[in-house]
Amino acid sequence: MTSFSAPFSARQTLLATSALFVFTALPTIAHAAGTRAGTVISNTASATFDNGGGSTTVNSNTNTLTVDELIEIDVDWSDTADVVTTPGATSQPLKFQVTNNGNGVETYGLATVSTIGGDNYDPSVTQIVIDDGDGIYEPGQDIIYVPGSNDPVLNPDQSITVFVLSTTPGGLADGDRGGVQLTATSKTGTGAPGTSFAGAGEGGGNAVLGTSGGDDSDNGFYIVSSANVSIAKSASVLDPFGGTGVVPGSTVTYTLVATTTGSGNLPNLVITDAIPTGTTYVAGSITLGGTAQSDANDADAGRFGSGIVTVNLGTVAGGQTRTITFKATVN
Amino acid sequence: MKRMISIAFALSLASALPGVAQAQSANAVAIDSNVMVERTTTDTAGRSQTMLEEPRVVVPGDKLVFVLNYRNNGVRPATDFVVTNPLPQAVAFDGTSDADTSVSVDGGRNWGQLATLTIRNADGTNRPARAEDVTHIRWAFQQPIPAGRAGRLMFRGVVR
Repeated sequence: MTSFSAPFSARQTLLATSALFVFTALPTIAHAAGTRAGTVISNTASATFDNGGGSTTVNSNTNTLTVDELIEIDVDWSDTADVVTTPGATSQPLKFQVTNNGNGVETYGLATVSTIGGDNYDPSVTQIVIDDGDGIYEPGQDIIYVPGSNDPVLNPDQSITVFVLSTTPGGLADGDRGGVQLTATSKTGTGAPGTSFAGAGEGGGNAVLGTSGGDDSDNGFYIVSSANVSIAKSASVLDPFGGTGVVPGSTVTYTLVATTTGSGNLPNLVITDAIPTGTTYVAGSITLGGTAQSDANDADAGRFGSGIVTVNLGTVAGGQTRTITFKATVN
Repeated sequence: MKRMISIAFALSLASALPGVAQAQSANAVAIDSNVMVERTTTDTAGRSQTMLEEPRVVVPGDKLVFVLNYRNNGVRPATDFVVTNPLPQAVAFDGTSDADTSVSVDGGRNWGQLATLTIRNADGTNRPARAEDVTHIRWAFQQPIPAGRAGRLMFRGVVR
């Protein structure tokens, strides 16, 4: 083609004006990744006509455009609801999807921030784990992410699942919410949408930042589910004469009411109470919810030994009450 | 920098067009194809301006304007003048305001207005054809092109 003939002065002017749009042009993105980077678009038209000598066909010149790489990344927290955790729990996974919406192969770095604000506490992130493809967190099977070592390389339209593992601090209240932000950053670069990286695109063309600007983030959240127990103790006295005087021989019935609150569970809740000095435990007097318990350390919940009444309630959910009674006589 | 140079290069193509037409004057009718990309820029005051550039590189979603210039360089009128442009595979048709156009959605076998064309689904049923199904666009002139007459045809596309 006869195309290098523009006068030098004209080319200078063109350079000056073209610089204006290089930095401001905003590429618009289609939904899918679009035409693969490096694809050559060629256009040729043809004309047929008859000017007296029969039908003739002529072709136009061919225009050639190369499709540059458009860098477009999406990070999306994909748990359907806040992930329930408990104070002190470790390796609790949050699930994210990282998707290459661009049109070229791109490498991404992953990073987390837990001081995002707008929540009640900061989870302590211990690991980023790349899923092996089944979308389920499997310790030892999914791959632990090491920045700069196994940065994910995604094809256009490819999506991977990334798990962020955190430890939940102790001492949190029921219902506390803690967030972690996962960011995926193109290794080619970041910046204002439309920024172009010369020669950095797949296939040797340029790489152009799309609307995401080369990186994207999303926040995932944990919610603390915990429970507390409070115990109310009361006593009633029956003296040998049918009254309520505390005299030798009076029988004291102690009642312990354990009330749990919160949305979580109290695992292995054990209530113990020592027999007061100057009293003697009445053998076989422990009841739980009105059911008599043996004193032996056996299958039922209650036992007595070394002057201490012990009732093992097992795992108790929040919002319940358990009533324990036992008897002692005044010496 | 590479990008700037490529734009300057592409624009210089446009300035060299008469030379192309000259070179093809052996044919009675010459036709020349140009592709431009429509880019909207926003200045510091927030005003947006749409400009046409002639780049050599594009990204998916870019809006392209295809411009075909024709000229009858012969001494006699050209009759039955038909211009055909197969769409590059990576370009989705985005309409034309030219008269006398028809399109094909099956590689040039059948022609018509887009609204009258259908696409056969995998299950054997038909659905109305959409702009992105267009494979070819054609201009069929009703009147001869007089000697020396030039004209311009345009259509739009989007990089898939």
